[in-house]
Order: sequence, then structure tokens, then C-alpha cells
Amino acid sequence: MSAADVTALSTDELTALVLARDFRPDDRVIQIGANMAAARAGAILANLTRLPDARIFVGLAVENLAGGRPAPPVHPFLFDARGLQAGEAYLHQHSVFDDMARPDVFFVGGLQVDRRGNVNLLGIPDGEGGWKLRGPGPVALATMSTSCRGYYIVMGRHDPRTFVERVASITALGDRTRRAELGFPGGGPRLLCSPLGVFDFDESGDMRLVSVHPGVTVDDVVAATGFDLVLPADVPQTPAATEEELTVLRTQADPQGLLRGGVA
Amino acid sequence: MTATTTRTPLVRALPDALGDIPDGAVVGVGGTVTANHPMALLRELLRRRPKALTIVAPTAGLDVDLLVASGCVARLVTSYVGAEALAGVGPAVRSAAEAGTLHVWDADEAHCAMGLRAAAQGLPFLPWRGGVGTDLPTANPDLVPFADPIRGEPLLAIPALRLDVALIHAETADAFGNVQFVGPGHMDPLIAAAADRVVVQVDRLVPNAVIRQDPGATRFWRDTVVTRAPWGTHPYSSAGIEADAAHLAEYAAAVRAAGKGDPDALERHMQTYVYGPADHAGYLEAVGVRRLAELVQ
Repeated sequence: MSAADVTALSTDELTALVLARDFRPDDRVIQIGANMAAARAGAILANLTRLPDARIFVGLAVENLAGGRPAPPVHPFLFDARGLQAGEAYLHQHSVFDDMARPDVFFVGGLQVDRRGNVNLLGIPDGEGGWKLRGPGPVALATMSTSCRGYYIVMGRHDPRTFVERVASITALGDRTRRAELGFPGGGPRLLCSPLGVFDFDESGDMRLVSVHPGVTVDDVVAATGFDLVLPADVPQTPAATEEELTVLRTQADPQGLLRGGVA
Repeated sequence: MTATTTRTPLVRALPDALGDIPDGAVVGVGGTVTANHPMALLRELLRRRPKALTIVAPTAGLDVDLLVASGCVARLVTSYVGAEALAGVGPAVRSAAEAGTLHVWDADEAHCAMGLRAAAQGLPFLPWRGGVGTDLPTANPDLVPFADPIRGEPLLAIPALRLDVALIHAETADAFGNVQFVGPGHMDPLIAAAADRVVVQVDRLVPNAVIRQDPGATRFWRDTVVTRAPWGTHPYSSAGIEADAAHLAEYAAAVRAAGKGDPDALERHMQTYVYGPADHAGYLEAVGVRRLAELVQ
């Protein structure tokens, strides 16, 4: 397997790689929620390559894979009791919010994301107190995005209905200006990964294109985005995986191939 | 002489354990997403055809969706209803919320925890920062923005979520309401502490001497009854069984079909698994020994 194989990586594998490289050296707790296979693989990849001291929360189970410990098997549902037999600790959900200094990194998905990095997971209000479209609900997005040191927005789709000028309802406040005004302790969104590329937020807090995935052009990204992205003069391709990253990703972080369409 | 006394057993048969749950009651439901829901108790409750309940379930699965599908829920306090990839949003909750027949009291998972904790502590509210600057207080005006009187920063007041009754599942208990979860117990200890009374269904009743082997694992609440319900979380997982994905997929498909005007499959499902069986043993017969055996780990 060589680095040239990057063209054959799925977008979920690219997301896992981008995340694994972007975690800060002193990120100590990486918390992963449901339906976050790419985040899970990215955290495991980082734990096995460059962040040996990180604890990874997979649902309620607490893992650390330093020393090449095998990754816990993926079950069809996150809260499977077997998942709790793999780690070195497990979280008690009734007290999980008692130590808000603990979670460093969190991952946020949504129905919509906007130019300022606000995410909507609640739904589209109908303007009369009801719902035109009811989403899954906030889960813990509002709390985690307020407090954790930094979070990553992982979007499963990239089209003008998903990437909008202003979300219909804010579940996670990403807007840097508003966060500063409100005195939030957390660092806000670090990066956004979509099926088309990688994004961050510029000095004023507007979404900026960082790189495009192989086979994707800047024009493709612009056409799929419902607002004016900040476009640097040069937009590189998302960097290829090293041989080590690819091997660890496919043999240790995601041996079941979930990021390539496999099922748990 | 040595004084001695006799403790009062708190074990009840399942219908008696559930007790009186009047229309309009506020009912806390334990478990998380696809794990540990007190299904034997919930099916018994549904067979009574209750009305206008308020359900409090911090991170709910299709257990709460089933309650909504049956039409007995007027108000739902939750941060999530679904079954991960199998049903990203509970299908009955989605259609009832969009039709306006269900009022969802939207809250972050931490808001649910703080509301339950406020109730447990006898406080009118607890402060929380998460949710400030979001549209959650717009979707749910009961989450009240206020200025912290100490430092002046913006916070949310999360009102107490007092429950009439908490329904939870645990692996074991003794006859005196000493309850032990295998695993984390999810939000259940907090749900129970917020309730006027607690009904615990367990996979196994054990002697008090067994509880004493691991006293650190024991939880108890003031007003508790215990009932035995083996495989009582089916179709959800517990320490003993994994979730029954095929059963959940069949349910979700039936609700989606009903939403498109074809209620037959949902009516069949409700008749087969909820209204038809006379009791929990009848439910287990409807599921079948073969399926249950496949789910035992």
C-alpha cells in the first residue's frame, strides 16, 4: 500500500485522516457520540500514532490504545453493553456533566450548517410554533460545543440546502463573535469536514475552504454551498495519507471497513 | 435477649408494581437510545390505554416512539429520540411533532440532567451555561435566560423536572429495593431521584446477601417497588441481551408506512407485541424462544 492510494480513500476515511492530524498535542479526552464512525476512526488513529495519552470516549466506554492495544469492536449500536467491557473505565450518564473541564474534543453533526459555523440539529421551525421538519434533537450539542476546548463539525452531505447562509435554528453556536460576547469557555469549531473537502473559519469567523478532496474542484464546492465561502488564492488537495496512516487506519482503526461502506 | 425485626418486602407482580398512573401523569422512563429501557413496564402501561401523559426521557430510543405511536403522549421532555443509523429520528415522534399533535419540550441532554437534579434536590431550577446563545430557549420558553447574580454572565435557568413516577430497568435487586445495575445505569439514578415513586423491573431478584457482596454498586430510593421481568428490555439491550435490530427495523418501517397512510403493519405490530399479549410472559412467547436465545450474549 502506498501513499498514492489516497485517491482510493473514501470521504469518510479522508475525514478520519484530517481529524487524526488536527488534534492538538495536549488533547487528553476525545469524546465521540453516536453515528460518528469517521470521528471514532480518527481518534483511534491519533491514539495509535501521535496522541498516546489521550482517552477516547466511545459512547460511555473510556478507551486508551497506547502500546498497540486492539481497538474495541464496533457494535451495531453505540450503547451495546458489550461496548463497556472493552475499556478501562465507563462514564455514568447521570454524572457525565459533573466534570465539564474534562472533554477536550467533541464532534458535531447537523441538518444544517451556516457561514458562521452555527449548526442545527433540532429541525426547521414552521414559524407558528411547530415544525416543518423535525430533526433528531439537540442531544448534548449545546452543552459540549459551549465548553469543550475545540470541536469538529462533520457533515454527511454538502449541498445548498445543508450549507446555508443562516441556519433555521441554532443548536451549537459556532459564531466566533457571539461566542466571545457571551464569554464561552470553549474554543469553538476547529475544522469542518464534508464529503467535498475541509474548511475552517477565518479571523472574522467566516467559513473558509482549506482543501478539496481528490476529484473535487473549487467550483464544485462553491456550487454546493448556499453562501459565499472565503476562498484563498490557492486551494490545495487534501493531503495524501502516509503509508503508516493508511495501514493503521485500515488494519487497526477501521478493520471492519465501516468507512468504506461496511456494516458493524 | 436480642432484639430482631422483619423487613417489609417490596416485590410486586408486574401489574401491581406499576401502580396507579392516572391520565396526565408525568412519567420518567429510563435507559438510553437502544439500551436498558423498562419495556415490560411500558407495555403494561400501554395495555391500560393511558391518555395525555408527559414522558421525561433524556436520551430516548424507539421505546418512547412506541408510546407516541400509541397516542398516549401529550408532552415529551427529551434531548433525542431515535435508534442511531436504524432511525435517525423516531418516526412517530417526527410525524407527531410535525403534525402538531405532540409537544416536544426541547432540551439539551445536560438540561434534562439538571432539571432532574433540581427536582431531586428540591430546587426550583439549576443554572446551566450550555444552550446560551442557541435557539433552544426559543423552541422551549421554559428554559429561561438570566444573568448570574455573582459574576453577571448570561446563563439559563433549567426548571425542575419533578416526576410522578420513574420506570427503570436494572439487572438485579433484592426484595428490599436495593438495586444494582451492571454497567453505567445510564441516567436512571437521577430519573429515580426526581420521582415521587420508583418502579424497578429487574432481570433477576437476588438475596440481600448477594447485594452485600458489592455494596458500592447499590442504589436505592425512598419509595421503591421491584418486579421481576426477565428479558424485560427486549427489543433493547441490557447486560444480558443485545438489541433486536430486526424487531426495531420492523417497527420503524411500520410507523413510516402508517405515516404514509397505510396503518396495517403498525396495527399488526401493536396487536402482536403490545395489546395482544396478556402479560410479559405472553410478550416473550410472541417474540419466541429462538429469537431471545439468539440475543443472549
